Amino acid sequence: MSVTSKKSLTFPGGIHPPEKKSLTINSKIHTGFMPKEVAVLLSQHIGAVCEPLIRKGSLVQAGQKIGDCDAYVSAPIHSPVTGKVKEIALRSHAVIGRIPAVIIETLPAHPVKKGCVQFDEEFDINKYSVEKICEAVREAGIVGMGGAGFPTRVKIEPNPRLPKTTMIVNGCECEPYITCDYQIMLEWTKQILIGVKLAKKASGCSKAFIGIEDNKPQAIEMMETVLNSLGTDEIEIIPVKTKYPQGGERQLIRSILKKNVPTGGIPPMIGVLVLNVATCAAIAEAVVADVPLTHRVVTVTGEAIAEPGNYYVPIGTSIETLLEVCGGVTQKSARVIMGGPMMGIAIADLTTPTTKTTGAVTVITKEQMGMAKFERRETACIHCGRCLAVCPENLNPTRIAHAVKNNLMDVAKSYYITACIECGCCSYVCPAHIEITGYIKTGKIFLARQKKKIP
Amino acid sequence: MLKDITVSFAPHIGKPYSTRSIMLDVIIGLTPAMIAAGIFFRLHAIALVAACVISSMATEGICNLIRKKANTLDDLSAVITGIILAFSLPPAIPLWAAVIGSVFSIAIGKMVFGGLGANIFNPAMAGRAFLTASFGMMMTTWTVPATIDSAMPQISAANAVDARTQATPLAHSKNAQKAQYGAMELNSSTSDLFLGNVGGCLGETSALALLIGGIYLLIRKTISFHIPAAVFLSAFIFSAIAYLINSDYYASPLYHLSSGGLFIGAFFIATDPVTAPLTRRGMWLYGIGIGTITMLIRIVGAYPEGVMYSVLFMNSLAPLIDKLFKRIPAGGEPNA
Ligand code: SF4
Ligand code: SF4
Repeated sequence: MSVTSKKSLTFPGGIHPPEKKSLTINSKIHTGFMPKEVAVLLSQHIGAVCEPLIRKGSLVQAGQKIGDCDAYVSAPIHSPVTGKVKEIALRSHAVIGRIPAVIIETLPAHPVKKGCVQFDEEFDINKYSVEKICEAVREAGIVGMGGAGFPTRVKIEPNPRLPKTTMIVNGCECEPYITCDYQIMLEWTKQILIGVKLAKKASGCSKAFIGIEDNKPQAIEMMETVLNSLGTDEIEIIPVKTKYPQGGERQLIRSILKKNVPTGGIPPMIGVLVLNVATCAAIAEAVVADVPLTHRVVTVTGEAIAEPGNYYVPIGTSIETLLEVCGGVTQKSARVIMGGPMMGIAIADLTTPTTKTTGAVTVITKEQMGMAKFERRETACIHCGRCLAVCPENLNPTRIAHAVKNNLMDVAKSYYITACIECGCCSYVCPAHIEITGYIKTGKIFLARQKKKIP
Repeated sequence: MLKDITVSFAPHIGKPYSTRSIMLDVIIGLTPAMIAAGIFFRLHAIALVAACVISSMATEGICNLIRKKANTLDDLSAVITGIILAFSLPPAIPLWAAVIGSVFSIAIGKMVFGGLGANIFNPAMAGRAFLTASFGMMMTTWTVPATIDSAMPQISAANAVDARTQATPLAHSKNAQKAQYGAMELNSSTSDLFLGNVGGCLGETSALALLIGGIYLLIRKTISFHIPAAVFLSAFIFSAIAYLINSDYYASPLYHLSSGGLFIGAFFIATDPVTAPLTRRGMWLYGIGIGTITMLIRIVGAYPEGVMYSVLFMNSLAPLIDKLFKRIPAGGEPNA
């Protein structure tokens, strides 16, 4: 089926922020960059923190495992470089605060990993058993690279209680500015598709859909072509409407399968497995070439960056170093964001290292933020209902936010605060510039703390 | 380097508009009707709009001072209240009455609730209701437009009674109905009514000008179509039923639709976000309520103009409507 003949699928709600992808859309992936020092955080995933396997002063090889943990929900950590362990010290993690990291000084004479491994051999899925795939994925330390960082092995491994039937591959990249997944789809198409086949086999899914937003026709075409040459094998490319948050897993499932993941539940409850395209490429590398996850593509972008582009960087490179590589930032920078402007996290500490889940660093100016937002000028809610109209989870954002603001947590719960996916659509459209999503996040943290105290 | 960087919650970008720019859009949307009012009622229009806007803003400023709150005049909502109140007054009403109405609108209709966003009733309609209750006579003395009577008197506080007056078309249709004259004898045709060449409230007479402004707001997405559509549809259906039952006795639905306050009500008053429900389904019900009650009042009840009462009535129901249409998450009720 040709690309254009398919009608793009979509979900209700959502917004259309300026795409801003043109800053980096033509940027091929720059490889070969090697920082003097990396700080590899010992937790880059959801789950237990790893124990370091090396000591201060140890020499480590590129790809060597430097942290691991026995817990089921966890993922080992590998060194992206060959070098000497300078120390194990605390570094900032954008979400969970300061955690231990292995600081490695690189030895310059060693070769640099140049992008995703190329597979020249004919790919034969029969060579890989389910157990072998799952084990390789675990050993390579693969986690969801689209954002949350859930250990991939746990996701793909067959679970008799929640059998998976359908796999969805997320190639939407709906956040403004970011183009790393797009570029991977163009340059590493084969690796992604091999990864899809491996994950599909491991998970026991009978069907796989690859959802790509229709503002990326070239990626859709490229994926179609390579897929046809590899054998489609119950895998289908699905164009979806360009709309934020199309790449949210609940939204993508809704768009493609017309099914809802239960509130507070996870996709496996309706037999669905969702993986991001970058994760799929990493699965292929791990299973076929035995290469651990040590590098990833990061889009460094935003109006305040001199040379925006897509960079293949060792995981653990600090934001500071990354910004220098991109020609530095201008005086006008107003916010440094790990991730995109909709869901990314603003950071103050530029020594924060990148992790397996860092797909972008966006530096925007006051103009992009809007003065009212920059100055945090909130005015009274005018009840306009815009936040309700855009909420992709069909919530009542203003009611939840105001309940949290007034410390009425029961009211917040009665308006389903926990169902919020923190997409930020409501804050984006609010004419009163109320940080609705911010209040909701605060409320959720508050509830989580409450729960801990009162078991 | 990077002296200005700040951290806060995502999202870090927002739609480039604000409450102020939305209000400004509404003012732009009201401009065609202001021009129409200027053409039909000349100085009366200018004086009345100016008096209402200035006194509304002054009241809001003073209330903020008394409450020791930050200045909120720059959100421009007081300007809109002033204009809409002026639009809903008879052109020849003495200016002091207009000022009293404005002060009531803002002080009692809005500020005592806590200011913009907290009020239950549309402030302009609250002010108009207050004036109707206090000065009933003045509120039903309608001047003919200057385009009909060029000898329209100069404005002054005293000569309101001298002006050549005329019952509004709707009042007339009501009289006609009461006197069993039959709908044929209505003294103005539907097209005159639509263009605004009739007696009536300052801004309510030209449905065409209001329609232009309403379409502007719809195109700019400043208002959503739900409420106006619901008001018009329900008003049409209700009046059509009455017309079908007895076409000699009741005015035609088109006549009702192109008349008086329905346009300003549907586009500018019922869509006041603060006093309308939040949910889309709630907006439909709210609009249907306003359209139906307006027609009910016009056709069955004692007042020719029902928009004010129906809006105020539905305002009071809006919180209940929101409760009725509580949103259930897309993923269904969570299992506790
Ligand atoms: S309430 Fe939550 S899910 Fe709904 S728009 Fe806001 S952030 Fe998104
Ligand atoms: S978008 Fe903002 S102003 Fe409008 S209802 Fe939601 S919170 Fe209130």
